[in-house]
Amino acid sequence: MKITYYWLKDFVEIKISPRQLADKLTMAGIEVKGLEEKDGDFVLDIETTSNRPDLLSVYGIAREVAVITGKSFKEPKPPKIATAQNKTDFDIKINSPKDCPLYTAKIIRGVKIGPSPGWLKKRLELVGCRSINNVVDITNYILFTYGEPLHAFDFDRISSEGIFVRRARRGERLMTIDAGECLLDEDMLVIADNNRILALAGIIGGKESEVSGDTKNILLEAAIFAPVLIRRARQKLGIETNSSYRFERGIDSETVQKASACACALILELASGKMTLKKETGLLKTRPRSILTEVASAEKILGSHILPKETIKILNRLGLKTKRASKKMLRLTIPPYRNDLFTQIDIVEELARIHGYDAIPNTLPKITPQPPSLQKRDLVSLTKQTLVALGLNEVITYSLISRSLWGMFSEGQDVSVIEVENPLSSEQEILRPSLIPSLVKCVAHNYNQRQQYVYLFEIAHVFSQKEGNLREELQLAIALSGSRAIFLEDMVVKDTAGLLHLKGIIETLCARLGVERYEFVNRNHNQIIDICISGEGAGSLYQIPRRILNYFDIKNRQVIVAQLSLDRLFAGAVLTKQFFALPKFPAITRDISFILKEEIPVQELLAALKEQGGSLLAAVTITDYYRGKQIPAGYRGITVSCVYRAGERTLREEEVNPIDATLRALLEKRFQAKMR
Amino acid sequence: MDIYSIRTQIELEVNQLNSREALEAFRNKYLARKGIISQLTGSIPSLAVEERAAFGKEVNLLKSQILAIIAEKEKTLAAEKPSTPAPGGGIDIGMPGIAQEIGRLHPITQTIDEITSIFVQMGFSVVEGPEIETEYNNFTGLNIPLDHPSRDAFDTFYIKSPAKNRLLLRSHTSPVQIRVMKSRRPPLAIIVPGRVYRPDAVDASHLFMFHQIEGFMVDEGIRFSDLKGVLEVFAKAVFGKEIKMRFRPHFFPFTEPSAEVDISCIICQGRQLSDVLTSQGKRCSVCGGKGWLEILGSGMIHPNVFKHVGYDPTKYTGFAFGMGIERIAMLKYGISDIRLFFENDLRFLRQF
Repeated sequence: MKITYYWLKDFVEIKISPRQLADKLTMAGIEVKGLEEKDGDFVLDIETTSNRPDLLSVYGIAREVAVITGKSFKEPKPPKIATAQNKTDFDIKINSPKDCPLYTAKIIRGVKIGPSPGWLKKRLELVGCRSINNVVDITNYILFTYGEPLHAFDFDRISSEGIFVRRARRGERLMTIDAGECLLDEDMLVIADNNRILALAGIIGGKESEVSGDTKNILLEAAIFAPVLIRRARQKLGIETNSSYRFERGIDSETVQKASACACALILELASGKMTLKKETGLLKTRPRSILTEVASAEKILGSHILPKETIKILNRLGLKTKRASKKMLRLTIPPYRNDLFTQIDIVEELARIHGYDAIPNTLPKITPQPPSLQKRDLVSLTKQTLVALGLNEVITYSLISRSLWGMFSEGQDVSVIEVENPLSSEQEILRPSLIPSLVKCVAHNYNQRQQYVYLFEIAHVFSQKEGNLREELQLAIALSGSRAIFLEDMVVKDTAGLLHLKGIIETLCARLGVERYEFVNRNHNQIIDICISGEGAGSLYQIPRRILNYFDIKNRQVIVAQLSLDRLFAGAVLTKQFFALPKFPAITRDISFILKEEIPVQELLAALKEQGGSLLAAVTITDYYRGKQIPAGYRGITVSCVYRAGERTLREEEVNPIDATLRALLEKRFQAKMR
Repeated sequence: MDIYSIRTQIELEVNQLNSREALEAFRNKYLARKGIISQLTGSIPSLAVEERAAFGKEVNLLKSQILAIIAEKEKTLAAEKPSTPAPGGGIDIGMPGIAQEIGRLHPITQTIDEITSIFVQMGFSVVEGPEIETEYNNFTGLNIPLDHPSRDAFDTFYIKSPAKNRLLLRSHTSPVQIRVMKSRRPPLAIIVPGRVYRPDAVDASHLFMFHQIEGFMVDEGIRFSDLKGVLEVFAKAVFGKEIKMRFRPHFFPFTEPSAEVDISCIICQGRQLSDVLTSQGKRCSVCGGKGWLEILGSGMIHPNVFKHVGYDPTKYTGFAFGMGIERIAMLKYGISDIRLFFENDLRFLRQF
C-alpha cells in the first residue's frame, strides 16, 4: 500500500524527515518497503500485516504515527451536509444481516461529471491509482484516506423502487466494470434491483450502472460486508480489488459513516449536485470490548521491565482506556478499530511494539540437554559422508515431477502415484515415487554442460500410495555415468562407470554402516540386480534403457543407477563395535590362477571354494582378473587368493597343500577352469 | 694401517660428507667387499692367536661406528632438498598428484548442517517430520484459521486423496511443532530442518520447493529476551561477529509477540542508508539500499497453539523461529539465483 508524507500530514503533525518516519514505522511493525521522492511529495510503500486492517488507510497510519511519535492526532470535523427538499423514496433490503451488517446509501442529484482537480489527480497518481472522473476519483480518494471502500452507481440506471443486498443465484451473470463477465453462484453476495445485478458486493461494480460522462444522479454506497464471503468470492472469481482487500480484512464500522459523509461533501464541492436521500440499514451497535490484563504480564513474556506508569501511557496513546481493576490487574477498553486485540498476549505485543523491541535485553535460556541418541538423521549423515568420500556429489532435486517424466520410467513398476490437486504447471503434477527420473535428468543436464563423468546421489523422501494409504519413505539413489581418468604412477587409464562400480559403492556403504546380511541377486536375465538386506528386497541396481537415454539425448554412454530404501538399509545397520583380537599366528596364502569361461559366474565358484576349503580356509578373494592377450576369446583369467589359518597354532605347509590340491581339482572339474 | 690412524682419518673425512656421492664413496672405501674393514678382517688370520680376539673386537667396534656415521649422514642428507632433480628416474613434482577425488555435499545440506550444529551446541535436539501433512498440523493447530487472510501468506499444494481430512504438502516446517508438542512434554528445545512446498511462480528468488529450519523452545519462564539471545548467537556464528541485528515487530498467526529479524547488510554494511532517496542507480544489489537483510521470522509461541496441543499457556511459554535455508545460503555464498541450487550443475556443486 502506498501513501504519501504530506497526505499523512493532513491528520498528524510530523516533525521528522520522511526517512526517519519510515524507520520509526518499520521498527513499530509497519514495514516501509520503499521510500521515493516524487512530485514534491514522498511516497511510502507500506506492507501491513493481515491482523491490522485498521492500517489500510492514510487515516489509520496517521493514527499510528501519532502513537509512535507522541504527537496528537488531528481528527477532522465531520462535514455538515443538508438534505435537499425534494426527497426521494428508495428502499434498501438486506436479505441477511450476517452477510451485510451495515449498508448506507446517499442519493446525490444533479452532479456534473468531469475531470478531477489537479491536487486530487496528483494524490491518486502518487499512490498508483489512475484518475477517471471526479466522482469515481473521490470514491477512490476516500478509500485510500479512510480505508472504507465506496461505490457510486449511476442512479438513473437502477430501478427507482430500490435495491437488494442478496446472495446471487447459481448461473446469474454480471458484466463488471473492467474484469469481464462473471458467472455467479449462491456463495456470492450481490447488489441487485428488481431487474438485474448491479454489483458484486464489496468486490467490483457492474458495467451497466457505472458512472459515466452522462451520469446526472448517483447513488453512493458505503457498507460492511462479511469478510469470509468476500474472500471466497474473490478467490473463486480471481478478482482482487482495493475494495475486496479491505472488506476481506474487516472494516471499522465507525469509519463507514465518516467516509460516506466526507465523500458526499467532496462530491458536492467538486461535482456540485444536491443530496436528496440519506439512508442507513442495519446499523449495528457494538459494545466496546474490554480485556483484563496483568500489569506485569509484559515482563513475564518479554523479559524486560516496563514501569506501570509507562505501560498505562503506551496503552492510552494507543487509544485503549485503562482502569485499575486491582493492585495487579488492569481493565482495558479497546477502541472499535482495533479488532485484533482480544487477549492479554495481544496487549503484551502492543507494549513490546511501542516500547521498542530494541529495549528488550538479550539473554540466554537455561536448556536442559536431552541425552543424545542415535537417530535416523545420524545414519543419513553417515551415509552421505561415506558416499562423498567415494567421490559422489550430492544433488537435491524437486520432489514434484511431471506425469510424463514418471511415465517413461514406470514401465513394469506396480506403483500408484500421489497426485497434486493444484499444480501450477505440468512439472508439479505428481509426488515422485522414485528419485531415479530426477537423477537421470541431472546427468543429462551435466552432459549438456560438457562434463565427462557424472557421479551423483540424492537422499530424499519418495511417495506412493497403496489402497488409499499414503507412503512417504526415505530413499537413496545413485547415478553413475561416463568415464574418468585414473592417474597411475606411470600412465593414465580410463575408467568407465559400470554396475560393478555401483556394487562396490554399496558394499562400502554396507561395511561402513555395519550391515552384514546383504546380497546381490540377479533378476530378469541379469538386467536388474536386486539388493537384499536380511533376506528382504531393499532396492536394485540397473542400467537405464537406451530409449530413455535417447530421450535425454545421452549418446554413446550408459547411465547406471541404484535405488535403495534407507529404512531397510538402516534396519540392518549395526554401529556398535566389537573388538576381535588380532591373529597371533601367521597365515599361509595360496594363489590359484586359472582361465574361466565367461558364462560361469564367479559367485557360485567362490561359494564352492569356501565350502570345500573347510575350517582352515579363512578367506577366498579374487585378487586379479584379466581379459585380452594370452587369454582365449570367451574366457577370462582369474586369480583367487586363499588365506589359510589355524586358530591357536602355527599352520604347517603340509596341512595346506592337500586342501589347495582339492580346490584346484574342484575348479577344474566343476567349473571347467584351466590352471595357468 | 692400524686402527688408531684409521679412526683419525675417519674423523677428518666425516666433515667432508656433504653429498650423497661423497657418502657413497665413503661407504665403498670402508665397507665394500674389498674395503678397509674387509681388509682388516682379512688380516686377522695373520695375527698371533692371543691378539686375534681383541683385534676382532676393535674391528667390529670400528665397523659399527662407521655404520652409525653413515646412518646419521643419510638422515641429514635426506632432510635437505636435492639441489637438482635426478635426471631420468627422480620425481617431477609438477605432474598431477594421484588421489581419489572426493565428492561434495550439496550446499543446502552444508548450510543445514552448519546451522543445526550451532543450535545443537546450545543444547537443541534435531527432529524431522513428514512432508505430507494434515491441514490441522499445517494450519489450524498453528492458529491459522481457514478462510482467513493470514492463510494467504501460505499458498499450499493440496494432494488428491480419498482421506477424510484434507492432506497437503507442508508449506512450512512449523507442523513439526504440533507433532512434537503433542507427543512430548516440556522442557523442549528442538530444531527442525526440512523441505517445504508452496505454489509460487518460479523466478530468481522463488521456487515451489525450498528448505526451512524451524526452531522452538518451550519451558516455564521462557521469555522474548531468550529468543533474542539465542538468535544472536546463531546470527553471529553464521554471518560473523561484526554483524548488527534488529528485531522488527511483525505478525504471524502462531506467535505473539512476533518479530522479523534483520541483519546488517553483509555487502554494504548499511553504508548506503542515507542515499536511499537520491541515488537510485547505486543501490546495493543485495539489500536494495535498505542496509538490512531479513533473515528469519520469530516470536513467542501463541497461547492458542499451546491450547491446541494441550499445554497450559499460563504455565508454559516458549519461542519459535523459522528461516529459509536457500536465502541464508544465497547470502552466505553470494548466490543471486535460487534456481542454481536445483540445477545441480557439477561446476556449481564442486565450489562448495
